[in-house]
Amino acid sequence: MSAAAADVGAPARRARPGLAVSRLFAIALRELGAGFSGFYIFMASIALGVAVIATVGTLSDALRAGFETQGGIILGGDATFSRMHARATDAERNWLEAHGRVSETATLRTMARRLDGEQQGLVEVKAVDAAYPLAGRVEVDGAPFADAMAAPGGAVVDRVLLSELGLGIGDRMRIGAAEVVVEATLASEPDAVADRLTYGPRVFISEATLLKTGLVQPGTLVRWRYAVTLAPESDGAPADLARFRATASAALAGQGFVIADRRDPSPQITRTLDRLRQFLTFLGLSALLVGGVGIASAVQTFIERRRTVIAIMKTVGATSRTVLLIFLIQVLAIALIGVGLGLAIGLSVPRLLIAAYGDLMPVRAELGYSAASILASATYGILVALLFTLWPLGRAELIKPSVLFRDEVAPERVRPRWGIVALTGAVALALLGFVLTMAESARIASYFCGGLVLVFAVFTGLGTLVTRVARRLPRPRWPELALAIGNIGAPGGLTRSVVISLGAGLSLLVAVALADASLMHELTSRLPQRAPSHFLLDVPKAEADRLVAIVETEAPGAHVTAAPMLRGRLVELNGRKVEEVKPPPEAQWVLHGDRGLTYSDTLPEGSTLVEGQWWPADYSGEPLVSFERDLAHHLGLAIGDTVTVNVLGRNLTARIANLREVKWESLSLNFVMVFSPSALAGAPHNLLATISLPDGVALATEANLGRVIGKAFPSVTVIRVKDALAAVNAILSKVMVAVRVAGGVTLVAGALVLAGALATAQRRRILEAVVLKVLGATRRRVLTSHALEYVLLAVVAGLFAAALGTLSAWIAVTEVMKIPFTFSPAAVLSALALAIGLVLMFGALGTWAVLRARPAAILRSE
Amino acid sequence: MELPHVPQPIIHLSDVRLNLESRAGLVEILKGVSLDVPAGQSLAIVGPSGSGKTSLLMILAGLERATRGDVHVAGRDFNALDEDRMALARGEDIGIVFQSFHLIPTMTALENVALPLEFAGARGARDRARALLSDVGLGPRLDHFPAQLSGGEQQRVALARALAPEPKLLLADEPTGNLDGKTGRQVVELLFGLKQRSGATLVLVTHDDRLAGACERTIRMADGKIVADEQTMVAA
Repeated sequence: MSAAAADVGAPARRARPGLAVSRLFAIALRELGAGFSGFYIFMASIALGVAVIATVGTLSDALRAGFETQGGIILGGDATFSRMHARATDAERNWLEAHGRVSETATLRTMARRLDGEQQGLVEVKAVDAAYPLAGRVEVDGAPFADAMAAPGGAVVDRVLLSELGLGIGDRMRIGAAEVVVEATLASEPDAVADRLTYGPRVFISEATLLKTGLVQPGTLVRWRYAVTLAPESDGAPADLARFRATASAALAGQGFVIADRRDPSPQITRTLDRLRQFLTFLGLSALLVGGVGIASAVQTFIERRRTVIAIMKTVGATSRTVLLIFLIQVLAIALIGVGLGLAIGLSVPRLLIAAYGDLMPVRAELGYSAASILASATYGILVALLFTLWPLGRAELIKPSVLFRDEVAPERVRPRWGIVALTGAVALALLGFVLTMAESARIASYFCGGLVLVFAVFTGLGTLVTRVARRLPRPRWPELALAIGNIGAPGGLTRSVVISLGAGLSLLVAVALADASLMHELTSRLPQRAPSHFLLDVPKAEADRLVAIVETEAPGAHVTAAPMLRGRLVELNGRKVEEVKPPPEAQWVLHGDRGLTYSDTLPEGSTLVEGQWWPADYSGEPLVSFERDLAHHLGLAIGDTVTVNVLGRNLTARIANLREVKWESLSLNFVMVFSPSALAGAPHNLLATISLPDGVALATEANLGRVIGKAFPSVTVIRVKDALAAVNAILSKVMVAVRVAGGVTLVAGALVLAGALATAQRRRILEAVVLKVLGATRRRVLTSHALEYVLLAVVAGLFAAALGTLSAWIAVTEVMKIPFTFSPAAVLSALALAIGLVLMFGALGTWAVLRARPAAILRSE
Repeated sequence: MELPHVPQPIIHLSDVRLNLESRAGLVEILKGVSLDVPAGQSLAIVGPSGSGKTSLLMILAGLERATRGDVHVAGRDFNALDEDRMALARGEDIGIVFQSFHLIPTMTALENVALPLEFAGARGARDRARALLSDVGLGPRLDHFPAQLSGGEQQRVALARALAPEPKLLLADEPTGNLDGKTGRQVVELLFGLKQRSGATLVLVTHDDRLAGACERTIRMADGKIVADEQTMVAA
């Protein structure tokens, strides 16, 4: 027989030159004609991950395209210059007007009140000139926008404010010292995005009306913004825009303007979008990699079923390489189908999302098909498919023809050739390289990859550990339990797949749930207990005593603290422009935009001096500044270094005298920078104040206090901390939902793997159930042993996921968010319930088939 | 007056028919088989492939339900039993040995043999299993998993497992079919020795004339019917 096999091999060798790629493809596809069964999970795993990555890519491309084409409208012109406190000087204004059309706007946060003073609300006022908007249109319901602005005291307001104050179109309300008339309600504002996040409803008034409010005083927190449309001869082409920006930076250097142009109208949003894209791509990749476990086991099963076919191929002269190539072609063909499906989903879901939620997006998304995004998603899919299939395929090529002659009871686990091992390593490196290349931040990407490797290692190790423990455990006398434990310890059993497939997703969900619980506890119970009840912005220095007196009358025992407050922008660190400084992400916010600045002759409450000395009370020398310790370290600053801030259009350089530790979470008056009084006292400014009420003050008193202060100080902005926390809470809940969806996707990938693992084990389980029936087991016994096995596995996977999730949440909460950790048994129990539920649900489908199997047919076919 | 002792048949089949659905349509597997087997007898079922031997054995084991006809085994009317009662009946009275052994791969030899006793709630299941494995010469291999045993050893475990609950009826489907000649002969000796000691009725399906010749009675099947039924003179 073996001689015959050798004879058959000879002509095959001669024919090998004919085994060109086309022939290999033909054989591979013919062989695949046996059907895709067993590959659905493979395809679905690839499709899911690729779909997530492609959806994210397409959507973010669409938003970016929207930003690019609508940049001018979003920004309100070709370029904008904005600055806190100080309106442009005539010279600055003249310089801008020499380059094109200019529109000036002023935005500030203040209170709008009913004329009877009974209701008031925090609003974001935007005062505009006649040229506004230079690009786009303000959409309104009611009088046309231009007419509304031209009308004396005319205002266009957000509908939300009207319902808050119980007013309608035509009604009057008070802003500062002025009465305004609601002429129309706002439907859409073209440059809303570029104006940063707004905390209250928008109120448009004219600049003339703004002056009447009396709110614009030296030191008031007003942002002056100048939009410029370049003169027609320059055409506004990007090259000109770049040149204009460079000229502007040079001409207006040191004036404290934040400059933006329509190529990137909102760097903050662009950054957020980039991070979101990165985060969601990682998520898709996690799903792909979790799915990879399912892919590997699908290929493994496929190869095991093809052992005879492979042996026959080899008997008739196929080399190991030919076998490898034939099966590699098949696997890649299936991976490509998965990639195709994923791309189809990934390219159509954004369409649906934009149709459903387009209005909520910061910009009108412009769908297109970007080759880069499509290629990137496909590359991720193919690389992951290769990473998880090369190993089992490498084992397939080593199958010996002798399996045809002797039945191997337990095929030994062999390592593929070194070439294949090296190739697998190369694919892993290629994937890593691709992730790092595509990532916005290589540092975050490497953390992500490291974390993923760790999670895989932990759960693979756990799978092995559970298998070994189950194998060594003394078998209980209860046969159902003995069977369950036997199956858990069986080589090639479900244990590893279940633990890996559920572990990653579940630990993520537990971590999110616990971080959420800790944050919610902090926000809803701990913070309000410690935090002041009200924040007051723009309290005039001269009115401070009157304010304290009123508060003491209205709420005896209340404590008022106040600190000078200016806003300014860091422009230089040690003489180096901040644009050239690249701090780690957690410190970038300090350099973007304005910071609150204060001065004090004593160490502020809530701060601890950790390095250096506080200046003497009567200090009047060189300007000194106290910097927050952690941020100073991130920015590479030490005592003796200098920082330059632009306040009111002038640069102020101060030397760092000491470092403070600040308890941000106390919500008291905390500042990154506290200056020596001589540095800032001369600048016009108002005060920022907090009111802390004694324990047991009625809610009504708390609410009334805001109203009384509002009436007495029309220019003061009153923010109730409870309202602000509720708003933060609402935003946070949305973020948490998003992160949960993220965890959910990973869990879906895990569920696919689980389904695949159960399907793979199905044949063995059916046979086992039949044998049990032969030995006198009733269906209840079979069912019980299955349920016990599933529940045991799910409990082990769930408990470990809960432990890992708890650990991650603890680190995130105490080390990153720096708030106390709150353990939530409900979060852990729901993870366990989810694990048990998922395994039982998929298991039940399999067990149903197991119980229905006809013993005679099964026994005969074995 | 004392009546002559007539042993009650442990198997009574009357006009048993079995039809199965296949892709090609309805296939008649058994076409009216009637058979009585007295308790304690050893019976070989022989015949060409596809003649219905294994199907008949499956019906006797309660693993296949007859389409028509009466099936009484060990005092039970199989047509009146549901799937679970049938399983319990097997646990109490029927031991089965397969050509491919069908041991549970995740259990050791000892656990495989103890399993039917544990299902039946018997006390001292493990001690009895240990004794049985010792009887079949596997005393030193109690804790081995099936994959760690040779074919002959696996079949001996299967034999011990089939006999563990002291069944009234022992069914064997080609018990030596997967074994080499020498090992096969050892297993046959063991099978008949154990049958003799327990006094169980033995029904086996075989292609092996020598094995059939070791039984007290041989029925020959062809095309779903019994075509010959003869007593064998040679005892094992």
